[in-house]
Amino acid sequence: MQSSVTHPRSATPGTGGPPPEVGPPPRRSSGRAWEWSLAALLLLPNLVLLIVFTYRPLLDNIRLSFTDWNVSSPIANPVGLSNYIEWFGRDDTKIIVGNTLVFTVATVGISMAVGLGLALLLDQKLRGRNLVRSVVFAPFVISGAAIGIAFQFVFDPNYGLIRDLLVRIGVGVPDFYQEPGWALFMVTVTYIWKNIGYTFVIYLAALQGRRADLDEAAEIDGASAWTRFRRVLMPQLRPTTFFLSITVLLSSVQVFDIINVMTRGGPQGNATTTLVYQVYQETFVNQRAGYGATVATVMFVILLAVTVVQVRFMDRGKKA
Amino acid sequence: MNEFSRRGFLGLAGAAGVAGLAACAGTGTAPSTGSGGGSSNTIEFWSNHPGNSKPVEQEIIKAFEAANSGLKVKLVDAGKNYEEVAQKFNASLAGGSLPDVVVVSDVTWFNFALNKQLSPLDELLATAKLDTSDYVDALYNDYNLDDKHYALPFSRSTPLFYYNKDLWKAAGLEDRGPKDWDEFLTWAPKLKAAAGSDKIVMELPDGSNYLDWVFQNMVWGYGGAYSKEWTPTFSDPNTVKAGTYLQNLAKDGYLKLSKDPAPDFTAGIVGCSMMSTGSLGGVAKDAKFPVGTAFLPTDGNCPTGGAGVGIPANISDDRKKNALTFIEFLTNAQNTVTFTQATGYMPVRKSAVELPEEKAFLEKNPNAKTAIEQLPKTRSQDNVRVLLPGGGARIGKGLDQIVQGQDVAAVFKALDAESQQVFDSQIKSKLGA
Repeated sequence: MQSSVTHPRSATPGTGGPPPEVGPPPRRSSGRAWEWSLAALLLLPNLVLLIVFTYRPLLDNIRLSFTDWNVSSPIANPVGLSNYIEWFGRDDTKIIVGNTLVFTVATVGISMAVGLGLALLLDQKLRGRNLVRSVVFAPFVISGAAIGIAFQFVFDPNYGLIRDLLVRIGVGVPDFYQEPGWALFMVTVTYIWKNIGYTFVIYLAALQGRRADLDEAAEIDGASAWTRFRRVLMPQLRPTTFFLSITVLLSSVQVFDIINVMTRGGPQGNATTTLVYQVYQETFVNQRAGYGATVATVMFVILLAVTVVQVRFMDRGKKA
Repeated sequence: MNEFSRRGFLGLAGAAGVAGLAACAGTGTAPSTGSGGGSSNTIEFWSNHPGNSKPVEQEIIKAFEAANSGLKVKLVDAGKNYEEVAQKFNASLAGGSLPDVVVVSDVTWFNFALNKQLSPLDELLATAKLDTSDYVDALYNDYNLDDKHYALPFSRSTPLFYYNKDLWKAAGLEDRGPKDWDEFLTWAPKLKAAAGSDKIVMELPDGSNYLDWVFQNMVWGYGGAYSKEWTPTFSDPNTVKAGTYLQNLAKDGYLKLSKDPAPDFTAGIVGCSMMSTGSLGGVAKDAKFPVGTAFLPTDGNCPTGGAGVGIPANISDDRKKNALTFIEFLTNAQNTVTFTQATGYMPVRKSAVELPEEKAFLEKNPNAKTAIEQLPKTRSQDNVRVLLPGGGARIGKGLDQIVQGQDVAAVFKALDAESQQVFDSQIKSKLGA
């Protein structure tokens, strides 16, 4: 895009402006150096923090994944690739990866869809909408452990809220804590409830910054509500959707508190165990910190790959 | 430029998030032996306040400081359960500041001792001329590795058989617990009929919440075991018999598992359970019906449990000496009585039960008396549950599967193999080292 604005001090002769300043041409290379120095100076504090608290532990974690370190031991013996070979060969790997996949896809998909729906609803001029917006957002700021404890009373098969509702309509009550499928359902629903406030508020901010004239133009052209949503609104929300898909994915994969409080990874040992919970169990329960580091490294690689694909997908979408 | 910035930012943010996730999830720093830090005159006591004991711990600390001028005790909230205290202690071993006294459970102490992170106390006790013969023998010897003791008993418990006396009466049963599990099976239909379809005859904690601890009683009761010393014996016909019994109880509708049977029992939904003596205070207070307690079925087959207190290996000798002075005070006969009465945990000193205030307390609280009378009938738990890393969780998972209907022999065969593999890879080479 070409600029049509000229700086008063660089006005051309004959336009009535002041005469141009006479002097040597600007030194491009020294300007660049200054910009680089300034950028480095401003970035340095964050870079130092990232290196010390993120990248160094990451490298250390990868190193430990090739050892047999017992979390209480001062010695870590190298074991080569055996932790990785064990992880790929173990029976529970499939179950745990499956749990992680189901939990992540469900929490990312549903919390984004419901968050968008609520944002669309509460973007309308409704009475009491500010109160409702606060209510929808509130669970997000409550700690996962507190929500986990509260939802135990919701899902308790003997005296929980859901039991009460199901009994009233004559439906059998599942044992959310003992049946593997229902246990995963329970922690997934609990996490979605906590997380909807986040997707809602980000989508709401995006909706309030959208161009209403495009929608009006499409409406005048006879586009249906669904077409306007799909062809006009969603493309405008694409960067927000992309941002949410990454941040919600990362936070979903990291969920620990709700699982620890509600099921401790059970029933049957691993019915609600996700990869991050396996890292905890292997490191602190089974004392195998080396193997725990292996699971963390595998998780890192998977998430890195998913994030790269997401970035590429977004990029392609913009070019299309 | 604008396009690049946004995409670049999001990509970088994602990558940093992913890296941060792996870094946080991983173990972080390399293992090292710490210098221990800390001050010799301030004793840092890391506790999870078992049985909501924080107020009584503070009370004992206040008395200790009054009796030992120049010494202070800093009580640290080190977690909400024994496992969290162990995690915090592990983190401190990797370079942080070590406590002077730390609560270690029947499960967590062994790994620290095996990796030489807890001080053997025998020499310290001998130097301080402290007599250990007053500690209840079974509880004191639970912390023995290679003839050295690595902790002293503190918040020790056993499971008890809890029952709803009203339900027992309605079912026409005597006011007592079952002598053995076969007798319980003859009672179960009567209890079920008296309880009605909306109530549960027996509820036990699930495999994520110490089913493996209380099931130890059933296994021993049928002549089986999780292991003989370090050799897993899950496939022993008697162990399989106990597993089949558990499965049939569930199949016949007499047994349910839950995260925590205590609230269901106190609410009157459940007829009986096996729970820790540490639950006694809360259950007795909250239940709206007369609560009965009895020895676990089959005489002499009650596992010990709970926690002791240990001293880290890598702190100065001065700190160790002060720490031992505090532990001795914390677990002396008088403070044992104070702690026991406040929490429901068992007296760890033999002489404590002879003190007049304890005698009076037991007279008023016959349920607490049951726990103490059961104490001589306790046994140390089988090694593969209590000493093998992840043993409890591993067995708990198998028992959950059995209750859900999986083949008992197959589940136990897998447990044999897994337990043996963990012993071979993590314990064998370190024993006697």
